[in-house]
Amino acid sequence: MKILLIEDDREAATYLIQALDEAGHVTHHASDGETGYAMASSMDYDVLIVDRMLPRRDGLSIIESIRAENNRTPVLILSALGEVDDRVTGLRAGGDDYLVKPYAFTELLARVEVLARRATPGEAATSYEVGDLSLDRLSRKVERSGETILLQPREFRLLEYLMKNAGKVVTRTMLLENVWDYHFDPQTNVIDVHMSRLRGKIDKGHASPLLHTIRGAGYMIRE
Amino acid sequence: MSRLAQLWRTTTVRLTAVFILLFMIFSILLLTFLAYQSSIQIQQQQTRAIDREVETLQGIDRRQGVRGIVFAVARLASVPGPGIYYLGDNSGLQIVGNIQNIPVNVLESEGVFSFNYSSPGIDQEDDTIEGPQGFAVVRSVVLDSGLKLVVGRDVGERRGFTAIVLQGFLYAVAGILVFSLIAGIITARRVLRRIDAINATSAKIMTGNLSERIPVTRANDEFDALATSLNAMLDRIEGLMQGLKEVTDNVAHDLKTPLTRLRTRAEAALRDSGNPTAQREALETTIGESDKLIRTFNALLMIARAEAGAPSGAFADVDVSAVAADVADLYEPVAEEQGLALTTDIAPGVRLRANRELIGQALVNLIENALKYYEPADGKQGRVAIVVRSANGRVLIEVSDNGPGIAPEDRARVIERFVRLEKSRTEPGSGLGLSLVNAVARLHRGELRLEDNAPGVRAVIDLPAT
Repeated sequence: MKILLIEDDREAATYLIQALDEAGHVTHHASDGETGYAMASSMDYDVLIVDRMLPRRDGLSIIESIRAENNRTPVLILSALGEVDDRVTGLRAGGDDYLVKPYAFTELLARVEVLARRATPGEAATSYEVGDLSLDRLSRKVERSGETILLQPREFRLLEYLMKNAGKVVTRTMLLENVWDYHFDPQTNVIDVHMSRLRGKIDKGHASPLLHTIRGAGYMIRE
Repeated sequence: MSRLAQLWRTTTVRLTAVFILLFMIFSILLLTFLAYQSSIQIQQQQTRAIDREVETLQGIDRRQGVRGIVFAVARLASVPGPGIYYLGDNSGLQIVGNIQNIPVNVLESEGVFSFNYSSPGIDQEDDTIEGPQGFAVVRSVVLDSGLKLVVGRDVGERRGFTAIVLQGFLYAVAGILVFSLIAGIITARRVLRRIDAINATSAKIMTGNLSERIPVTRANDEFDALATSLNAMLDRIEGLMQGLKEVTDNVAHDLKTPLTRLRTRAEAALRDSGNPTAQREALETTIGESDKLIRTFNALLMIARAEAGAPSGAFADVDVSAVAADVADLYEPVAEEQGLALTTDIAPGVRLRANRELIGQALVNLIENALKYYEPADGKQGRVAIVVRSANGRVLIEVSDNGPGIAPEDRARVIERFVRLEKSRTEPGSGLGLSLVNAVARLHRGELRLEDNAPGVRAVIDLPAT
């Protein structure tokens, strides 16, 4: 995957580029807003990672400009500003996701990978399949090996989100944001409890588990 | 700046000066008017008196002839006083009178005249000794007998009267000037003294002594009112500073402790370089610790923003019932896993202009507290109940449990930042949970109440509905 990172903190950028490289992604770097904008509008990237506060040109204005040029490349905004208002203005400017500093690299990587997928066509699939597990979004039916699994509405949305991003790591915060639409930080392991319930319903009695816990990062559904 | 210059700068002295000036202008106008009016009055009286005498003497002349008029004028002229009398023959030469050197034109025609004169000396025999000099107003007539009569008054008296009035006025003005200056200076000094006291106190406070207060006198005047309100403000500031200091101390403690742990662990890992597994573990716990620090920091920021009354940009019409149902749904499995029953009694469609994230976070904090402090006791089913209702224009969000509860004397304290009761010191957490709930409640113009649930705690977020 080809990523453009627009970030003025050199140390953070160096570390990010290296870590993204280890994860198998090619990363270009711009250390100020003008250069970043020039690169973003002249080259094709799978994902843009844009710091909100940049020298020479503000991150949000870059996003607004490339959106005005009908560039639909997914954008992840990085910011030290973490209030609800800040998040809302960031997403309104055309950002697709918002990550507050300081963040864990696993969180950033998971979000970048999910974002890149979002841009690929076929997003509006009406059903998902992972191995012998299938989920029909229209009839809201979930089956594994032909057996119907009964899920609560929230469990359904949880599984839907995981299957939409099958093969990718989704973090606990991503689940909380996307399934419950909250951006706060629970102290207890609320998400883990929900996941273990879901696991009990879809993996119990099957030889090969589909729902995997990725240590230090989150969860993933795959064959 | 000299003391005098300083005095001159005071409002009181300046006002006094302005008033003195105004007073003087008006006094001069008034006195000028009075003097003018009275001199006219006196003049008219004198003219009337002269006219009467002239008439009388004309009558004497007509009835008694030359002999009678000469005696009458001689008698009048011999009476000491302001009267001026002169009787001359038809060529104007003096027959009798108490005045010499009458200007020729006065004797040549009839009418009213005024002139400087000199009267005959006291020693009638010696003409070289000049009598009293004066200014005369006279009426000159030619009598039926052809004699020339001049009757008048010395108006030096009138002038003396004006001089007395003027003198009195000058004394009065001088007195007023002196007294009002003294009064102004005394008042100004009094005011200055009060202001100096306030200045001195502020100077002391600025050098760091916040416990200084402005002295309040028993006069109970506007300065005392000012001093009282300034002192009240200082009390508030001192209280806030005290609170800030406590918070800083607590922040220092609660952030430094995990930072120290973090550092020690990193150091230990560095020393233990031969053991990659242990090193990896140490690094992982280090990250875990720093995450906790970030969380504490975020909570502090959130409280600060909420307490500062963050811009209400994030305020929207929020379905509080839906938020409570969501959060209950989120926590229900967690409670169940801990062996607690989470029940809800949520009135549908309770709406509020609010910050949805903050209301959600507040509710989460209350539920997490209830879960955290629950102590399993044998035979007792732990319960956490979430209630949302609206009544009498208030929206009430309640989280109650049947856990160990909080002693009444501790209830106010646990809302403060970083306060964790001794028995819960060992529990994980920043000690900021309830302070955040409190800040959120206050941001929404409401309050957080901790009530006795007998047993347990009932935390009530009480918000105004509009």
